[in-house]
Amino acid sequence: MHCHGSPVLLRTIIDITLSLDARLAGPGEFSLRAVSNGRMQLTEAEAIRDLIDAHTEAAVHQATRQLKGEISKTIQPAKEDLLKIIVRLESSLEFVEDDLPALEHDTILESLRQLTADLSRLARTFRSGRLLRDGIRVVLVGQPNTGKSSLFNGLLGHERAIVTDIPGTTRDTLTEWVDMSGVPVRLTDTAGIRASTDAIESIGVDRARREAADADLLVVVIDGSEPLGHGDQMVLSEARDARHIVALNKCDLAKFSEVSFQNGHGGNGSKIVSVSAKSRAGFESLRAAVLEPFANGNGESQGLLITNARHYDLLQRSVEAIESSLSLLRADASEELVLVGLHNALRSLGEITGETTADEILGRIFSTFCIGK
Amino acid sequence: MIFDEAFDVIVIGGGHAGCEAASAAARIGARTALLTLNLDLIGQMSCNPAIGGIGKGHLVREIDALGGIMGRVIDRTGIQFRLLNRSRGPAVRAPRAQADRALDRLEMRHMLEGTPNLSLRQGMVTNLLVKGDCLLGLELQDARRISAKAVVIATGTFLNGRIHTGRQTYQGGRAGEPASLEFAEALRNYGFRVGRLKTGTPPRLDGRTIDWDAFEPQPPDQRAVPFSFSTQEISQRQLNCYLAYTNEGVHRAIRDNLHESPLYSGKITGVGPRYCPSIEDKVVKFPEKTRHQLFVEPEGYDTNEVYLNGFSTSLPAQLQQELVKLIPGFEQSQIIRPGYAIEYDFVDPKELSPFLETIRFKGLFLAGQINGTTGYEEAACQGLLAGINAGLTALGRPLFRLDRKQSYIGVLVDDLIRHGVDEPYRMFTSRSEYRLALRYDNADERLAPHGRQLGLTGDEEWERFNKRRARLAAARRILKEHRLSRSDAQHRTLGQIAGQDLGDSITLAELALRPRMNAELLFDLLPADAKGEVAISDFESALADHLYSGYLSSQEITLRRLNQHDNLNIPSGFSFRNVNSLSHEMIERLERARPTSFGQAREVPGITPAALANLLVQLTMAQHLTQT
Repeated sequence: MHCHGSPVLLRTIIDITLSLDARLAGPGEFSLRAVSNGRMQLTEAEAIRDLIDAHTEAAVHQATRQLKGEISKTIQPAKEDLLKIIVRLESSLEFVEDDLPALEHDTILESLRQLTADLSRLARTFRSGRLLRDGIRVVLVGQPNTGKSSLFNGLLGHERAIVTDIPGTTRDTLTEWVDMSGVPVRLTDTAGIRASTDAIESIGVDRARREAADADLLVVVIDGSEPLGHGDQMVLSEARDARHIVALNKCDLAKFSEVSFQNGHGGNGSKIVSVSAKSRAGFESLRAAVLEPFANGNGESQGLLITNARHYDLLQRSVEAIESSLSLLRADASEELVLVGLHNALRSLGEITGETTADEILGRIFSTFCIGK
Repeated sequence: MIFDEAFDVIVIGGGHAGCEAASAAARIGARTALLTLNLDLIGQMSCNPAIGGIGKGHLVREIDALGGIMGRVIDRTGIQFRLLNRSRGPAVRAPRAQADRALDRLEMRHMLEGTPNLSLRQGMVTNLLVKGDCLLGLELQDARRISAKAVVIATGTFLNGRIHTGRQTYQGGRAGEPASLEFAEALRNYGFRVGRLKTGTPPRLDGRTIDWDAFEPQPPDQRAVPFSFSTQEISQRQLNCYLAYTNEGVHRAIRDNLHESPLYSGKITGVGPRYCPSIEDKVVKFPEKTRHQLFVEPEGYDTNEVYLNGFSTSLPAQLQQELVKLIPGFEQSQIIRPGYAIEYDFVDPKELSPFLETIRFKGLFLAGQINGTTGYEEAACQGLLAGINAGLTALGRPLFRLDRKQSYIGVLVDDLIRHGVDEPYRMFTSRSEYRLALRYDNADERLAPHGRQLGLTGDEEWERFNKRRARLAAARRILKEHRLSRSDAQHRTLGQIAGQDLGDSITLAELALRPRMNAELLFDLLPADAKGEVAISDFESALADHLYSGYLSSQEITLRRLNQHDNLNIPSGFSFRNVNSLSHEMIERLERARPTSFGQAREVPGITPAALANLLVQLTMAQHLTQT
């Protein structure tokens, strides 16, 4: 793990998990046992796994929040609201002879609408959440000697790639994890893409293409101090259909010209950042440009992010189920039909936080309404 | 051991559970005796003289479909029939009826006396006679011994019954009837896990002293919907019930005297049902309510007695009289019988198999309130199941059980044996995940074949059921094939009701799913010959199936996700003992049942969700280990 303070974190993780169980057990055994003993919810066990896998501090924070049961806590109010509505509808069905207040359709409609909005919002954080946990795959591509390796080293903050003046030095791909504003980025440096007679270099070029194919984002590195060559055009056209940005390198040089690149390039709307690997100029903008396509867009990054595909799936299911109940309610359907979707939603949410039994629902009914014939 | 008399099956107790049990066992072919403390009170309703309602009504229908007797009895003695939730979907509709209490009791006795293979006996049981874990028979208070191959205990509230009215407390199974003390002790001595529950009943009033004009009438249905599939129509005269309300004056008086209430003074230890609270409970728990609803129910055609439903109480008798006089309409009223609370023993139903047989003694079955339920219908369905199985045991035939997917009876039994009871268990439709499939109108489709196979459904009923099945098939066909076209007279009217254009040609099935369509509207569209082929009730059933099918599938998908581990294999030689945190009881149950898959393990009677979780974890880990 190449994240900040990792040995300390590892020890902390082990301490936490040991405090949950008396002995060092087989992989996954301790958390499974704790789940089956009921001392830990499933979501917490998953959090432990995520904690161990975490690549950045932000990811650690998220996993820790999940460990502290924050997912359950965040969903709990929504589950409460859902239960209240279920209780209301069930009561009107089951205790039709008792003196209950009339069902306020509009209030229930509004509550359900609010509920779907809240749950959808939480589900939408999954995209950022997943990235936070799994990381963004960013691949540097470009002609030989455009400064990819220097850029690579610069972004890492330390020397890793071998930088020489000889084009074609990077024979293979190099991959490192780097933390960009809390988001784990899997950064890959590749061999300069050019037709080569050198067998080893060809292999490197081949590998570069394959890495590029798997990338979430390509950074096309262009030497901004030279006119746009045929090779650059080739790389740009290969990158055109993928998500990419252009890093116009060597802006420290006098011959550097952004304008000439734009004229030559014809501009297809790609984001262009001028940088200098040598002087580190433009690095802030470059990092921002790398993260921008993956931003949540809701400004929710401070809140809890759903990092788990299972949770995302369950939240989506509950939203869909509630929405089907909403349309039934609007069409004046009988309560037992409306309740099908609501109970399905409750079951889905229950898979995250724990089940609500029929008995618990009945208990709520009797403490809410005076029923008794 | 010498016995004075021998029977195949003995049923102890003549309440609703006992009567169903005795009737079923006898008709299955076992020589049966119903043993009761008082032959004059067979089939007596202990409190509210009414049958049915949401959930309960569903049970009665199922009892009838299986060949039980409750539905027929109430059809002949009901004095106010109402179908509840008429305006809602068919899955939550249920019949309810007030009964003439005396007639109901007499009808029940009459029915039993007319049952071949069944003998009535009066006596008090004091002990079971056993050898090892085998049941031999019973011992009575008068020293008689009766042998039996199977016994059903259906003692209701009589085991260690203790009645409370204010500070007065005395032993009794019901007001004016003795409690069963020695038998209660015998059961405890045999090691049964016994607990205490309580219930209560309101005062009965003299109808001549009530101001009937002060109340809002609740009339019976125009067209009474019977309980039994064998009843063509309800012909007896129907009466009104009435709605009354308490007021703040009454509430204040109750609050001032709470210290006189045995529940609030701590004298009663048993747990009561949340949904049958005393008036004291209501006033304390819902102080913001300025009035509580009461139902004024005449107890029969030829009696002055009136049942004040909703005013269950154990306050002192004289205080009850004063309180009632504060209620508008009751200023001059006289109480004939005061209300009271009763505490009684019950046996933990987790000790029962899905056949309602005790694990302790083979051939011993428990049914009714003794298992922690409340309500005549809940008792009756257990009595039916226990009686069937007692009879099958005596005849050496395989036993019979019901699944929670196919009936509310199955839900009830499954809930009892899996979870036990913390308070008296009453049936609600929300207890079933399959509410949409378990309707009052399709109970026969679900259960009549079982009744026939058991021998409880006679030829006439079976013939009737087959005819209905044929009509249902016809109704389904009509739904799919009959079309309403733009040229038809009703097309525009129906389109207006639905609020949408119905298209040039629409099948009845498609039309049924449009807004505000109902059975009457659709049935009306049928040509005369179709109307002759199918009754509207058959049409309603077919319609309901169609309406709910989509929802049932979506629910099935969600439930299947929850049950997705069912195929997980339990390897042979798997040791349940080694599963973490399994209690001895769970280990025993699993070792006895020896399931070979997780799905089978889920079906093991009495297995708890926690145990299943532990097992799942262990199986999953084992699977991972073999794969890595």
